Amino acid sequence: MANSNVTKVRDAKQRYKSGVIPYATMGYWEPDYQIKNTDILAMFRVTPQEGVDPIEAAAAVAGESSTATWTVVWTDRLTACEIYRAKAYRVEAVPNTGPGTRTEAQYFAYIAYDIDLFEPGSIANLTASIIGNVFGFKAVKALRLEDMHIPVAYLKTFQGPATGIVVERERLDKFGRPLLGATTKPKLGLSGRNYGRVVYEALKGGLDFVKDDENINSQPFMHWRDRFLYCMEAVNKAQAATGEVKGHYLNVTAGTMEEMYERAEFAKQLGSVIVMIDLVIGYTAIQSMAKWARKNDMILHLHRAGNSTYSRQKSHGMNFRVICKWMRMAGVDHIHAGTVVGKLEGDPLMVKGFYDTLRSTDTQVSLQNGLFFPQDWASLNKVMPVASGGIHAGQMHQLLDYLGEDVVLQFGGGTIGHPMGIQAGATANRVALEAMVLARNEGRDIRNEGPEILRDAAAWCKPLRAALDTWGEITFNYTSTDTSDFTPTAVAV
Amino acid sequence: MSVPGPAASFEAASSEVVDLRALQADTDIGSPIAELDRDLVGLAPVKQRIREIAAFLLVARARERVGLAAGPPTLHMAFTGNPGTGKTTVALRMAGILHRLGYVRKGHLVSVTRDDLVGQYIGHTAPKTKEILKRAMGGVLFIDEAYYLHRPENEKDYGQEAIEILLQVMENQREDLVVILAGYRERMASFFASNPGFRSRIAHHIDFPDYDASELLSIAELLAAQSEYRLSPAAREVMIDYITRRQQQPNFSNARSIRNALDRARLRQAMRLCAGNAVATREALQTIEAEDIRASRVFAT
Amino acid sequence: MHVTQGTFSFLPDLTDRQISDQIEYCLRQEWAVSVEFTDDVHPRNTYWEMWGIPMFDLRDAAGVMAEVRACREANPNVYVRVTAFDSTRGWETVRLSFLVQRPANEPGFRLDRLEAEGRTIRYSVHPYAADQPAGRRYKPEQANTAPGDRR
Repeated sequence: MANSNVTKVRDAKQRYKSGVIPYATMGYWEPDYQIKNTDILAMFRVTPQEGVDPIEAAAAVAGESSTATWTVVWTDRLTACEIYRAKAYRVEAVPNTGPGTRTEAQYFAYIAYDIDLFEPGSIANLTASIIGNVFGFKAVKALRLEDMHIPVAYLKTFQGPATGIVVERERLDKFGRPLLGATTKPKLGLSGRNYGRVVYEALKGGLDFVKDDENINSQPFMHWRDRFLYCMEAVNKAQAATGEVKGHYLNVTAGTMEEMYERAEFAKQLGSVIVMIDLVIGYTAIQSMAKWARKNDMILHLHRAGNSTYSRQKSHGMNFRVICKWMRMAGVDHIHAGTVVGKLEGDPLMVKGFYDTLRSTDTQVSLQNGLFFPQDWASLNKVMPVASGGIHAGQMHQLLDYLGEDVVLQFGGGTIGHPMGIQAGATANRVALEAMVLARNEGRDIRNEGPEILRDAAAWCKPLRAALDTWGEITFNYTSTDTSDFTPTAVAV
Repeated sequence: MSVPGPAASFEAASSEVVDLRALQADTDIGSPIAELDRDLVGLAPVKQRIREIAAFLLVARARERVGLAAGPPTLHMAFTGNPGTGKTTVALRMAGILHRLGYVRKGHLVSVTRDDLVGQYIGHTAPKTKEILKRAMGGVLFIDEAYYLHRPENEKDYGQEAIEILLQVMENQREDLVVILAGYRERMASFFASNPGFRSRIAHHIDFPDYDASELLSIAELLAAQSEYRLSPAAREVMIDYITRRQQQPNFSNARSIRNALDRARLRQAMRLCAGNAVATREALQTIEAEDIRASRVFAT
Repeated sequence: MHVTQGTFSFLPDLTDRQISDQIEYCLRQEWAVSVEFTDDVHPRNTYWEMWGIPMFDLRDAAGVMAEVRACREANPNVYVRVTAFDSTRGWETVRLSFLVQRPANEPGFRLDRLEAEGRTIRYSVHPYAADQPAGRRYKPEQANTAPGDRR
């Protein structure tokens, strides 16, 4: 890297003289730094302001996200400041940026933080440093948090998912296939009574879950208690009609923690197996709800409302995979993490990285999937990813192939918009799913034979035939904005 | 799925003509037989029997294709011979051959003796036998010293229960597993005499002769080479002498005795090297010397 | 009424060939497979009766199929399922579970409602068959119209 000859000022008198000196020389750039296995690591994509050296920019990010202020302060010398200073230890140019490309120069900056910089068990405290002031810092034109490594020592201070994939499946008595869900539509305006109708039809038809949407809380057309009561009538009726455990994600998002607890308690009292919250309630509220969910045997679904405001653009904000990490630590059981084939943002390689982050026990480095650090998950439960937004039964082979079986596939429009009705829509999805899992297990190549497997099932299942006739050809082929910086080594065919 | 049935080129052939060469190539039946020839010293009559059986099974496949009288052939076998004559090794190869020809689905070998099949108390035997049978499904069940299953001196012996379950499965699930019963020639003969049910379900009897002295020497050299040792010319001469003496002794068990002798010679070689010079050449490290064998008790008598 | 517990219950009842293929899949994953049966199909009835312990170290489905047949024969006209267990770290749980026999006539469930304060309702799902004592819930002579083609 350029300027690798920048060195720390080691003479105390020089270092702590009043005034402004470069961050790199203050001790925030340490190319020889030996990473401790208790360090928290972060990797940022830095776009320096014109004329700012990338190493100085990286050091500034390290400084501003840890102990530094804009000028030298003598009070540093009352502390073991060498330890508390974050260290930028590696800076490298991002492939396909800079002169000769269409993108201005970007750099990957790797920074190590001592574990004592962070309060145990607090996402809020962790993020206040890592994505705090630093994102507004003038020396960088844009800044994006790409990935983090959380040491086992720090992970162990977090509860992790209240329920996790394993126990969720055991409680639901559903194994070996993706779970099926749908979001009630229209998302706004239905009365409690009409809303519950959709829930009953979809569950009886074959779905495992129905879901409140992110913005359905307690509005003039339907207050929350009404929704909860009618939905649980629907859930219980569907359980009796099928002999299966069913659920409806009752959204308990509200203006205050007190109200959220009240709603969650009511859901529990009614016998719901699952409640839901929105990402916009904030990290602390999410952690509180995760504790509540663990204490009350409740699955906790998280809708990622709001994340695209900061995760979608490639140069600024943060990558969704970091949200996945934080949410696994914070303790949610479900999180929407992309579909690959649906209507919402989601490059296949990136989505794979998100899913691995949520589901594996020990994640390996995979640059093409955007995983820059290995991550031992220290036995924290696994989070069930949720795929929703513009997916339908005709894509079942692709969904199973890309996303695997530990995922909730949510077909909102694909269930409720079915020409033969909601129950038929649900049945079409369930039959397509089971036929595909059966075929996969039999050793068939579902990626290529998928359409044929679906047609064979549609021959005896009218609802599936109608679904394929209606949506079979619908695809969403837009280019993703958040894509891999590294060319895949093995090209998927 | 994983059963490598005859390949498509064969399926597509006319219903009146079968290309046996193609079938041999498709099933790649030649290579395990060639391996058998190469890896196993002597055993000429055994190898001949295996070639016969392989040819028979190949033709059975061909007959099936053209619609001649078929039905799964009985494949259960009896391997008789003294200890160390290669019965287990050949059983392992046989499992591979049967797998290539599509007569067993997985091709693994489960090797057991009476203790694995017969229980200690009432109700113990059936689950034990069934458990072993389930593990052997898709492969070959090799029962060594099978006559111990039958104890005529004890009426209440639980071995009889195991025998009945075995017979039932050997008859009804011929496509699921192949059973090979093995043991001393004479004892197997009397076992079959008192258990006609077994005799009638065994299609192939293969007798394993004792190795002669020159074959045993080849085995010694082969075994040594396999673990990157070699016999010095003098050691080779002593080994010839050793073999002649050992063959006369009680409890001589053919290749197994040779393997044991080599193992002990390696220990002595190690002691000799450690007691000698501080350095050892690569040559010295891999050479068994005459004295390493000569020290055997066999020469004491 | 058609109980839809188990992984493939929205498909036509599996043939023995299809069941065997699924078991082969489980064995390829190195899962232990077991056979379980019950005449109480309440959705929260976790512990069905075990037809022997899970079968470990099998290489081929034939052994499991023999137990499936034996269990059906001994327990005609009740629910029988095949369950596969994964001992891998991070799983250590059931990975696949599907029905391989169901009664010819499934009476289904009654939903009981107990009205409580504030419009709250306490729900309880009650299998009609559970009104009979265990063992007499599904009459053996009614069955076994062989589900599917049992090749």
